[in-house]
Amino acid sequence: MPQIGSFVLLLALALSGYSFLFGAVALFRRDSLSAVITETARRAGIASFVAVLIASAILVTAAFQNNFSIAYIYHHSNIDLPIPYKFATLWSGQEGSLLFWSLLLSGYGFVLRLRHKTDERLFAHASVIIAAVQVFFLLLLTFAARPFATTPGELPLDGAGLNPLLQYPEMVIHPPMLYLGYVGFTVPFAFALGALIMKYPGDKWIHITRRWTMVTWGLLSCGIALGAHWAYYVLGWGGYWGWDPVEVASLLPWLTGTAFLHSVMMQEKRGMLKTWNVWLIFVTFGLCIFGTFLTRSGVVNSVHAFAQSSIGTWFVIFLAIIAATCIFFYVYNRSHLRTEHHLESLVSRESSFLFNNVLFLLICFVALWGTLFPVLSEWIQGHKITVGPPFFNSVTVPFALLLLLLTAVGPLLAWRKTSLGSLKRNFLWPTVGAIAVGILLIATPPSWGSVFGMRPWTDVAYFYSLIAAMLAALVIFTVAAEFLRGGRVISGHTGRGLVSSMMLLGHRNTRRYGGYVVHIGMALIFIGVLGTPLNRTAEKEMGFGDKIDIGPYSLVSRSFTQDETPNYSSSIAILDVYRGGKLITTLYPESRFFTATQQPQHVPSVYSPLREDLYVVFEGQNQDTGRPIIKAHLNPLVSWLWIGVLVMLFGTVLALFPNAPVPVRAVAAAPVTAGFHAPTAPVGAD
Amino acid sequence: MILLVCGLLTVAALFYVFYIPTTLQLGPEQTRAAFLRERKDAVYENLRDLNFEYKAGKVPDADYATMKQSLEDEAAAILAEIEQLESQGAAYQKG
Repeated sequence: MPQIGSFVLLLALALSGYSFLFGAVALFRRDSLSAVITETARRAGIASFVAVLIASAILVTAAFQNNFSIAYIYHHSNIDLPIPYKFATLWSGQEGSLLFWSLLLSGYGFVLRLRHKTDERLFAHASVIIAAVQVFFLLLLTFAARPFATTPGELPLDGAGLNPLLQYPEMVIHPPMLYLGYVGFTVPFAFALGALIMKYPGDKWIHITRRWTMVTWGLLSCGIALGAHWAYYVLGWGGYWGWDPVEVASLLPWLTGTAFLHSVMMQEKRGMLKTWNVWLIFVTFGLCIFGTFLTRSGVVNSVHAFAQSSIGTWFVIFLAIIAATCIFFYVYNRSHLRTEHHLESLVSRESSFLFNNVLFLLICFVALWGTLFPVLSEWIQGHKITVGPPFFNSVTVPFALLLLLLTAVGPLLAWRKTSLGSLKRNFLWPTVGAIAVGILLIATPPSWGSVFGMRPWTDVAYFYSLIAAMLAALVIFTVAAEFLRGGRVISGHTGRGLVSSMMLLGHRNTRRYGGYVVHIGMALIFIGVLGTPLNRTAEKEMGFGDKIDIGPYSLVSRSFTQDETPNYSSSIAILDVYRGGKLITTLYPESRFFTATQQPQHVPSVYSPLREDLYVVFEGQNQDTGRPIIKAHLNPLVSWLWIGVLVMLFGTVLALFPNAPVPVRAVAAAPVTAGFHAPTAPVGAD
Repeated sequence: MILLVCGLLTVAALFYVFYIPTTLQLGPEQTRAAFLRERKDAVYENLRDLNFEYKAGKVPDADYATMKQSLEDEAAAILAEIEQLESQGAAYQKG
């Protein structure tokens, strides 16, 4: 098995190498032979996918068969590991996750190569670029991080086991989602670079990759959210985001990718920002590779980075090659990226996109700077200086709030220019609503819940929370106003009801209105985050009948129990939760000890009404008294974060649907210029 | 056994990559006319956008007239160039 696995990886490398080299040669020839070479290169790319698929299947089968002769399986699995986690072994370690990267990349390449008839020349360029990236990963798998390396010495009877932190259902789907997002950005990168290399006239590459980019962005968003959810429900520290380098690594391409999704609309609509867009997608792809490098090179300390290894050098070289290639073709063909229009007004949809891009990039730069600061400080001063969450929060929160403001204002602005009068008119009621929310949060008594009775003048964090709440409300109100306004126009023309008209509006321009739903999701995410400064904790050693009070809740220890499974042994506390003297639920925080890895893990138990989370952790036992230590966190509004993510994903899916067809009527009386009749406003088909 | 499997996989891959039973032609290049048609669609979409935003009350009358005029001029210029390219193509085919 290991020998066949190694061989198919070598075969995949040869096929990808052929697809890259001969595909590239064919692009520079314009004779009858080049069509044949291009076709063989395309087929080689497809065949390489099959080879990588076989290699992955062999590794997963080895995990199911407990084949510990493969060192990777020995280090990341064991006999009693539950079946879903055996499948997850594929991406649990360095070598397997790189194989998974390669599998996804070749899978994307496979789909792309099957659709080559859409535009053969452009697809051939993109195929060559994807093959080049694939060659890099297959070189790594063949020479530096071999997943099929055999276990030295005597064959072990059992494996070392999977890291307990990874033995959680979300871990089976979180890495694939994140990887699908990471790898997926290779496709728009390949098309953007391909279009630049061949000086492709027009923006068809953007239309071709639009859905790819949105799907990729959605998957990356989902992967990041699942990672946060996993951190919250598994790591047991009561939070979901700690600015860990690996978290930041996934956020960086998300930020630039989001900026790209906005600014690319300016290129499609107005032929503007061509250079900016090309570089945004280059940088996004570079950050995906950089994130993979950060996770694997060991240059930064992280709770979920892989062990330090020599493959960091490979990534540095690859990043240098990517940068050199992008710079070369940009300098060589930059005349092709001349803008067709210029910004007409500072108060316009275009300028709001431009500002939002600047803010996204600023946040990206701050996050990158903070993450690399320990490395940079060590180079310059000789000792590591680490910056923690207070640095990231103090710098990124004001930028994020400005972004939220733009999210609210953007939809109200028209393309080209907006008069202050119409801005005032459209902005009035949403602003009044947002101010009302602010007053409500300050004026209401704290007994209503953790976020009520805010005192923003006592702490800057509370001030930010209040502003975030008001801006989130502003976003929701402006989007609602947009739907209402558009719905009324359709209703006036078709005689339909308002709700039906708003649904039709969304269906006729799924991208725009799906995008608005994504904005609502973002506003809800901000609502989920704004409660963070109001978090509270309480910790106590608890015997039978002991009580912890936190906020409006009282936790009373009813019992403690123990359990034994083949994979782990566990201690569980049974705690009754009272609110206002009334029993509302029972929580079961658990402390596990994994047999194979000899590592402990705390599994929190959470009560999650919309108002706040009561998050309880079994911290362990006092060695002297033998009494369990229970830690309780009261985290306001966290549920809104997860709801926001779901809304955001729903909006993304909505934006992927094709628009409903709209009847187009020509205006007979408006031939402004000879030979041209303006299309009328098919209502909602904007 | 291992050698046999590896050999079969190699032969299958080579056969798939290099056995091309049909004659192949080079794919067509993206032409200026095709590019202009894309631009025409984009400008039409912008006009629909403008009309809709006007009806939704986001664009005042004065701005609407100027912006519409500018977009219509742009569309007319694109249409004129498409027409010119098509007539040149037709003349080339006849000649």
